[in-house]
Amino acid sequence: MVIANEFDYRRPATLAEATDLLANHSGSVRVLAGGTDLVAWLRDDAIAPDLVVDIKNVPGLHDLKMNGDTLHLGALVTFTDLIESDVVKERAPLLAEMAETVASQGIRNRATMVGNICSAVPSCDAGPVLLVYDTTVHLTGPDGDRSVDINDWFIGLRQTARTEDEVVTHLTIALRQHGGVYVKLMRYGGEDLAQAAVGIIAYPDHEYRVAFGAVAPTPIRSIRIEDALRGKPLDDALVAEAAAMVRDEISPITDIRASAEYRVRMTEVMLKRGLVAVTERLAGTGPAYGTRLI
Amino acid sequence: MNLTIKVNGEDWALDVAPADVLLDVLRERIGVKSPKIGCERGDCGSCTVIMDGRTVRSCLILAVEADGHEITTVEGISYDGMSELQTLFIQNNSFQCGFCAPGIVLSATELLDNNPNPTRHDVQEALAGNLCRCTGYEPIIDAVLAAGEGGSE
Amino acid sequence: MTTDYPFEAKPESGELKTVGTSAVRIDGLDKVSGAAEFVDDMDFGPGLLHAAIVESPHAYARIVSIDTSKAEAAKGVVRIATGKDFPYKFGMYMEDRYIFAQDYVRFVGEQVAGVIARSHREAVQAAKLIEVEYEVLTPLLDPKSAVADGAELIHPDLEDYTHVPWFFPQTDTNIAHLRKIRKGDTEKAFAEADYVLEDTYEVPRYAHCAIEPHVTVSKFDQADRLTVWTASQSPHTQRHLFAEALAPLGLTHKDVRVITPYVGGGFGGKAGVSMEIMGAAMATLVKGRPVKLRWTREQEFYNTYQRQGVVAELKVGVMNDGTITAVEHKLYWDAGAYVEYGANVVNAAGLSATGPYRVPNITNDSLCIYTNLPPGGPYRGFGYSEFHFGLESHMDRIAEAIGMDAVEFRRKNAIVEGDELAYGASMNPSGMLEAIDKTAAAIDWGVEEESDNPNTVIGKGIALFWKAPAMPPNSSSASFLKFNEDGSINISVSGMELGQGYLTVMAQIAGEVLSVPVEKIRVETPDTDRNPYEWQTVASHVTWSSGLAVEKAAIEARGKIFDVIHQVYGYEDDSLYLEDEAVKCRTDESFSKPLRDFVIDGIQTEDGTWRGGPIVASGKFMPEFTNANSDPETGQGGHPNVHYTVGATGVVLEIDKDTGRIWVRKAALAVDAGRAINPDLVNGQITGGLVQGLATVLYEDMRFDENGKLLNPNFTDYKIPTAFDIPDEIIPIIVEVPQPDGPFGARGVGEHTMIGAAPVIANAVYNALGVRIKSMPITQEKVAMAIIEKSET
Repeated sequence: MVIANEFDYRRPATLAEATDLLANHSGSVRVLAGGTDLVAWLRDDAIAPDLVVDIKNVPGLHDLKMNGDTLHLGALVTFTDLIESDVVKERAPLLAEMAETVASQGIRNRATMVGNICSAVPSCDAGPVLLVYDTTVHLTGPDGDRSVDINDWFIGLRQTARTEDEVVTHLTIALRQHGGVYVKLMRYGGEDLAQAAVGIIAYPDHEYRVAFGAVAPTPIRSIRIEDALRGKPLDDALVAEAAAMVRDEISPITDIRASAEYRVRMTEVMLKRGLVAVTERLAGTGPAYGTRLI
Repeated sequence: MNLTIKVNGEDWALDVAPADVLLDVLRERIGVKSPKIGCERGDCGSCTVIMDGRTVRSCLILAVEADGHEITTVEGISYDGMSELQTLFIQNNSFQCGFCAPGIVLSATELLDNNPNPTRHDVQEALAGNLCRCTGYEPIIDAVLAAGEGGSE
Repeated sequence: MTTDYPFEAKPESGELKTVGTSAVRIDGLDKVSGAAEFVDDMDFGPGLLHAAIVESPHAYARIVSIDTSKAEAAKGVVRIATGKDFPYKFGMYMEDRYIFAQDYVRFVGEQVAGVIARSHREAVQAAKLIEVEYEVLTPLLDPKSAVADGAELIHPDLEDYTHVPWFFPQTDTNIAHLRKIRKGDTEKAFAEADYVLEDTYEVPRYAHCAIEPHVTVSKFDQADRLTVWTASQSPHTQRHLFAEALAPLGLTHKDVRVITPYVGGGFGGKAGVSMEIMGAAMATLVKGRPVKLRWTREQEFYNTYQRQGVVAELKVGVMNDGTITAVEHKLYWDAGAYVEYGANVVNAAGLSATGPYRVPNITNDSLCIYTNLPPGGPYRGFGYSEFHFGLESHMDRIAEAIGMDAVEFRRKNAIVEGDELAYGASMNPSGMLEAIDKTAAAIDWGVEEESDNPNTVIGKGIALFWKAPAMPPNSSSASFLKFNEDGSINISVSGMELGQGYLTVMAQIAGEVLSVPVEKIRVETPDTDRNPYEWQTVASHVTWSSGLAVEKAAIEARGKIFDVIHQVYGYEDDSLYLEDEAVKCRTDESFSKPLRDFVIDGIQTEDGTWRGGPIVASGKFMPEFTNANSDPETGQGGHPNVHYTVGATGVVLEIDKDTGRIWVRKAALAVDAGRAINPDLVNGQITGGLVQGLATVLYEDMRFDENGKLLNPNFTDYKIPTAFDIPDEIIPIIVEVPQPDGPFGARGVGEHTMIGAAPVIANAVYNALGVRIKSMPITQEKVAMAIIEKSET
């Protein structure tokens, strides 16, 4: 549908100008990055802001780089940037594996990973992966800069720790040797929103991070499953034990995309296959990144 | 608002509203009709255009966001005749109704620009966001593979 | 059946040069270059107005009041339309619809009012200001409750509705039409059968999902001329329905002109008249101003025709040797709020619900049931896709029960030429057995395959299909043909190029007769003022019917060409023939007269005068052997269908036992095209139709909530295939047992290629897992949960 509601549009040239606009305006405001969610919501009349602040001209937000062992991902880094980045390929291929499952080329060329976690729908693909990476979210606002642990980021359905007058500038991830996996349940072979998703990282010495998407109001981390796995070599029994914990860790709903029970069952399957794959990947074997496990 | 935009090599300066979407401005104000209105929410790919070298969904971009940028459509790449890819599409009877064709031509062009020797999987990935209801995709994929250097798996 | 027509189109050499070749589509360059113009691409200047529609949020309600005052005062608004402006009924086969709702709304999304404004945005903004007060009523959302005793009548005036003579509305019920077939003695046959299987299958509603949404631009000018540019499969039928519905305004057929440029996919969804009538009617309120009405993707889902759902109760009796002795098929169609077109889907299915089998005893009841869901209507397959799901699932189950191979069982019972059809006429020539054998061979039927992957299993399935064009008995086609100075040809027809390759095939037929290459023939999309009549581009009939009209025009042109040569050179007509764009003579090998030398300017004689002149011709075809009149109680006595096209499909699939995910590794489909005028285009129909059919069984379906609201009116949640959702390998098989009355033996194949897809997956899933799923779609979730249920019980 045509965008029926009119609004003002500003494209600040500096971060300071952006935060000033966000802090000093009348009515409601929205930050525009890739716009693949925002413009769709405008068309659907799901939102009717008075002001849209486009941050794409703000310098520095496109950076994708290593600072020592810390990966820096600017707010305007797109999913295509992640897929095509040599840094990501070498140091954090899990990000690319996740990015490849997001929508389609024409969307990925535009959509940003930070926008994905700012929209914060339950099925956001970046959610489970950034959770298992212990990511830090960096924001700036009228009171200056602050950072938020990703574990404190998702507050509720489409709600995050960001306040309306803040801009996310970048994410940081402290990297060390790991294997990663992102498994996503879709209704068919083509692009789809996750019906359920599992992100896992394996670190040396049987240390795991486990998170789920689309099976709760927000992407969620499972500390209990991580604790159950910690320090033990992975075998069939341990995998089964972890899978048996899934039902109590998630709270999926039944909607037109999938039933709650199917989501539970498939999350169990994805966790099982994911744990095996991620452990192999840590060891330098296992299926290549990008291989669909389900 | 002022919009300065280059479309298929031509400079345009227009006054648009912030709520005007790039797709509609291209079609109604600039007269470029190959990007189509199919779903208006980024699902179907009919509105695909190339923006600064990469395919985007012109239905999900405000026209004002394109200020200072360069847009290419099928009209633009057809000025000097059909590309090898387009010729193969024609010879292979790749399309039926043809409504999705402009978007698919552009998505496949982007693929071949970045990856001159794609696999079948690469082609499927590049085209997965362009819905075609007629063909079952096979004759389209075959033509793109033939346009690649090797066309092997 | 009548099989011979008084014309002969074979070339001199006996070998076809154009027909049977995979000519490059004549519209290929248009489409790949971006030149192809669709309705929404046309420019109408600064006077163009835009319309937006106010829709019912309720599935069933009485309209208490409509207050348009705020909208009338809104910026940019030119005019508001409501039901009061157009209290006129319309309909294709049964007049049960209004242009805008009158007193009641009967589905969520039904049009209540329209706003015409200067810009699209202003129209949408103003539409939100229209206040409609409803008295909400309890909707009937499934066919079984709509036929239950005491069900409220959705159309209490049903008995007064005008309809075609072959419909039988059941007064004081919600049954708009009941098609009955009674043949033999079913009860006795079931009693005597060695094995009887009875079960129920369910098929939900589906959406066409042409990528181009419906769009129409209408202009009613100061001289009372209505011109409608529209994305349609049916320009003449639209003209007819516009003229009839708007007759109270003084419009007649000659005052209405429908122009249909390229259309971005149809699949039945752009047949007949749906939203276009709103655009045409609204234009009459703003004389001289073109009005554009374009459906959003959401409206495309909820307010155009939908493929209707069905509950199929099926009972089949067989003998131990595998002979089918009786079929009882009761089809309860969820036909929606208006059945003006959809009732004929119900009719067609009822006539043919035995499937492609020889059955001596038949009881078919096909019930067209009003519900408070969007109007059902034509969708590629036209009822056949729906009933084949249960029927072909059932055939596999019976074969297994009596210990017979599923292919052998089908071979034994497959209908062949001369067998008696359900309504009493006899079956046309068909290559069914060849189709079965080639399909079975293509998937290595009978060879069990093991998966290398411990998580997956492999299954195979096979299913047969048939379908006849469903159309009024006197549906006809016509063509005009004219030569140009250089010997090139323009052909005017009114079939639509929906993507199937119709224009190319018409060029091939004319080119064959006239020895002119396809590249020198232009066939354009129709304009009802200039192009001759065509009923509609539906029913897979235009290759056959319009092809015959073009063939006749070409033969007439050839006769006129020979007449000129005879006049000037004296050669007898029957000694002349056409070859390589020239007239040649069997009795004088030295004679060769290129067409380009005389088809416009004629030939100069010795005295300096000229003979001949522009070669123009026309052709028409109407099947003069069909007859829709039959006994309402038995369905016997008529000849409603022109012929059936048959075929078979087989798949090899792999299923993940944990997730239920299905990969179609190989799919073979054999269809009897009679003669493939263009094999590449037939293969295109096979590939495209098969993928569309597979989608209906693997993941597509329309989901409604308990209030009748569609929950997935978008591609985010109504999934259609992407480039990843195709079989790893598709094996198209063209069978050619000629249709005696077809152009060069051709018959249509467009719809048939999706009909077998649903049951073949059901059968292969059973083969792989031992799980029989009796409702569509067979989603990965349904499969996974069935596996879990099976393993846990």
